[in-house]
Amino acid sequence: MVLNGIDESYDTLHNKFKDRIEYLENLPKIDEKRPIEDVIKESGFGRRDFLKWAGAITAMLSLPSTFTPLMADAIKVADRLPIIWLHMAECTGCTESLLRSANPTIDSLIFDHISLEYQETIMTAAGWQAEENLENAMKKYKDRYILMVEGGIPSADTEHYLTIGGHGKTGKATAQEASENAAVIFAIGTCSAFGGVQAASPNPSNAVSLSEVTDRTVINVPGCPPSEKNIVGTLMHYLLYGTLPALDVYNRPKWAYRLRIHDLCERRGHFDAGEFVEQFGDEGAKDGYCLYKVGCKGPYTFNNCSKQKFNQGTSWPVQAGFGCMGCSEPDFWDTMGTVNEPLSDKLYNTTFGGMGADATADRIGLTLLTATAVGIAGHAAISAYKNPKE
Amino acid sequence: MAKSEENSIEEHKEEIERELEFSAGYRWQHWIRAISIVVLIGTGFYIAVPFISPVQTAQPDNFLYALFRSWHIIFGFILTYVIFYKSFMFLYGQKYQMERDAIKDVFNIKIWKKQIGYYLLVSKHPKLSGVYNPIQFMAYAGFYVMMFFLILTGFILYVHVYHDGLGGFLYSPMRYFEVAFGGLAMVREIHHIAMWGVILFIVGHIYMAIYNAVFGKEGAIDAIFSGMKWHKKH
Repeated sequence: MVLNGIDESYDTLHNKFKDRIEYLENLPKIDEKRPIEDVIKESGFGRRDFLKWAGAITAMLSLPSTFTPLMADAIKVADRLPIIWLHMAECTGCTESLLRSANPTIDSLIFDHISLEYQETIMTAAGWQAEENLENAMKKYKDRYILMVEGGIPSADTEHYLTIGGHGKTGKATAQEASENAAVIFAIGTCSAFGGVQAASPNPSNAVSLSEVTDRTVINVPGCPPSEKNIVGTLMHYLLYGTLPALDVYNRPKWAYRLRIHDLCERRGHFDAGEFVEQFGDEGAKDGYCLYKVGCKGPYTFNNCSKQKFNQGTSWPVQAGFGCMGCSEPDFWDTMGTVNEPLSDKLYNTTFGGMGADATADRIGLTLLTATAVGIAGHAAISAYKNPKE
Repeated sequence: MAKSEENSIEEHKEEIERELEFSAGYRWQHWIRAISIVVLIGTGFYIAVPFISPVQTAQPDNFLYALFRSWHIIFGFILTYVIFYKSFMFLYGQKYQMERDAIKDVFNIKIWKKQIGYYLLVSKHPKLSGVYNPIQFMAYAGFYVMMFFLILTGFILYVHVYHDGLGGFLYSPMRYFEVAFGGLAMVREIHHIAMWGVILFIVGHIYMAIYNAVFGKEGAIDAIFSGMKWHKKH
């Protein structure tokens, strides 16, 4: 049973969403495409599949199932919102995460359907024409477009390491310009959210996150790549609410990044029981034991991988028997240590002419402890021979 | 007691007297802290790398890691309490004036020189204003800095394991510090490194305690058990 108060609050929200969808419906379509229902149907998905998908997204955003039809309606008006997708210093993995699946999912069909005014990977235009498209889109849909940025942004005196197009604009300049007039800004993937792999020490291109080059609020959707559900879910959330989602300390939507991998892990029971995989391929690995000792960084990582999974919900790293790398955390490349070893084996850059290589906190600690012990023994011996002055 | 020693105390009775150095509260908090630290280091190493596994049985009721973590958290709270108690007493406690008196010597270069000289066996022990010499005082100050880092990082890690009650109450402020430290992985590393600092402190601390017991002739190590220390009559 739900309490009256809660029911009413959902009614308010329901009406609010309805108004929002109506408002969007009355906006002109960006370009005349066939309705998304037809596209989905032609791709082999029945209405049942479509509603199942809408139900899943509804549940993911923590809304009651009565909102499912509303979600289905919302998708139909998704083509009213113009989207500009910029690629910075990156590998295009986030775009690939959405598009490159063996069987296209409804997520990827929606991604095709929404009005991507500019997306370097999938647009037909090239060269000057592409530049023009971007400029026009930014002018025409000023203060209306959704900006999605993929990739870290080279800055400082290496800003020119990322220079795009005939005008020779740097990535940073483009990102700043596009951010200024966007209705809402999403940083897709760890690189644009936190700098990512190219910002790893020693960061030769001085890559930084999108939030560091603009004053606007940036919603981070990190992951390497983020699951297609988290990308589309963030978009659907904005579509329905028209406002920013509740964000955590790193500006990540709480509905996706509220809990740690560890909190949602299917192997958590083995962790608490002290049952660990000692090395890949051993008996424990076959029995699905916890991967903490072979380097799982789930305890330090906030994401919903175990719930949404990847590749059309087939699996996710821990399910496949490989520990979490912590890819949705800031500076994960530097802070998480060696991939297949626990965090306490993290190496510190203490060279000392090669002597300090492979130095973990425990090894440095033991070395200092030994030095202390030697010092104490020496001091004690000398003191016993030549007493301190009284 | 050997006859000769008895005589020697008799001999000195006119010159030395027993004085209260550490109050009962001080001694209790010291030993509770010591025990907590030992338990926390042991369980902490297990939490970092679980080095023993339980015997596998058909009954899934042997939660070894959870057990280690429980004891770690229980003693963590005990330690937090005594650290807060002692810090408060250091600042405001009436019986802790002799600790606060030691601050003065830290800014006295002559006492520093004499104290270092004493440990290098070249000069006499300086006359101190409080109960601690400046080197000792700085070591304790460093110890407390590490303790506060351990408590803070410990609480950040705690709120992600227990989301209700105190964990829920502290969740938002602790996440602020989590960002300041650079993420949960860094919090864990700082927690680990600060522990090594505490281990090094303990080794030095025990050595100096024994050293003063052997050479100090004031019954310095007695003070932490009985509270009493021998002083020359002034």
